[in-house]
Amino acid sequence: MSDEKLAKLHGLLAGMPEMRTVIDTVVAAWPDHVSYLLKSFEPRSPAILAATEIAAAAARKLMQGEDARFVADYRWTCDQLRDEELFFHREGRYRLSTFAEADAEVYSNHDYMGRYVNGLLLSQLLWFNHAATFEMFHRVLDASTAPFDYLEVGPGHGLMVYLAARSDLSKSLEAWDFSAVSLRETRAALDLLGVTKPVSLTETDILAAKLPERRYDLIVISEVIEHLETPAVALRFLRQAIADGGRLFVNVPLNSPSPDHIYLFSDPAEVRAMVEDAGFTVESIELFATQGRAIAKALANKVSVSAGVIARPR
Amino acid sequence: MKPYLLEKKMSESTLETVREIMIDVFDVDDDLEINPATSAEDVEEWDSLSHIRLIVAIERQLGIKFKNSEIEGLKNVGELVSVIDSKLA
Repeated sequence: MSDEKLAKLHGLLAGMPEMRTVIDTVVAAWPDHVSYLLKSFEPRSPAILAATEIAAAAARKLMQGEDARFVADYRWTCDQLRDEELFFHREGRYRLSTFAEADAEVYSNHDYMGRYVNGLLLSQLLWFNHAATFEMFHRVLDASTAPFDYLEVGPGHGLMVYLAARSDLSKSLEAWDFSAVSLRETRAALDLLGVTKPVSLTETDILAAKLPERRYDLIVISEVIEHLETPAVALRFLRQAIADGGRLFVNVPLNSPSPDHIYLFSDPAEVRAMVEDAGFTVESIELFATQGRAIAKALANKVSVSAGVIARPR
Repeated sequence: MKPYLLEKKMSESTLETVREIMIDVFDVDDDLEINPATSAEDVEEWDSLSHIRLIVAIERQLGIKFKNSEIEGLKNVGELVSVIDSKLA
């Protein structure tokens, strides 16, 4: 049964050598995961598969030959998430609700954080909803028609900054994070990915930031606002920082328990309302459920759904 | 009734309860067939994610609570039923 599923999975990965290498490492270490992976790859469109292969090539550069360790960390991360899922479905809320709690358990816990971010890197390739929002971001970049100044809040592994840097139209690149440690890791990642355009990385807490002199044409905040106690404050700040006619790309997971997710969005309407209340007009929202499940059913069953929002200042 | 017969009866009713909850949680047809040997491999909709929802639905309906180690160690329906029965006993 598992061999059959692996063969099917390999069939889907034809022409994707980087992804195939990662998949084989994952399945070798965690054979039972093949069912999940098959369901996560079957619904991917050709465009999502192409974006996945780009992310896989980048991730392999970041893993520097230590793929097996990253896979072990991915599995460990999935174990942590399963505990959070259990709590979430039992209690109907995320386990932690303050930044101080998440900081104590996750951000300031060096060992934990190290494994967790490695796991999340692989989730970018392996989980349908993460790969689909990454593909959506490609389209956000491709829709640019004029040179743009780019700001990302919470760049993580730097995959989106890396893509933005590859765009001929990006004329300046900047990223903020509240953690100097994270920014050092982003810098190291951008070096490994061979980004040559200058990228300014600044230690900034989005909830306490001073409004910069300049304005940005494309602002990206991906998988960040669910980590904040007051995401509305962050969005209002970004409204002030965005240029007239600029675009905001928000990616936020709904019903997605994670050790450091403290703000629960249950419905896309909540996200839309928050973005609009911050002074934006929402141009589009795309929803991607875990394993590409039907959105209505995923929302009803509280299965994680990623919401990608494109908005312009009103 | 002899104790072992009582035990058997309880298991059968638990099996049926699990079957009904699975139909609801997995959103599958009413004719879902399960037996003690049925595992996640045999039910397309039974995966690591839906397993959590299954467990929580069973907890709610039967007023019991699983330990994490019990949830992770389950190999098939028979083991699930026997953990449930041990909690209901």
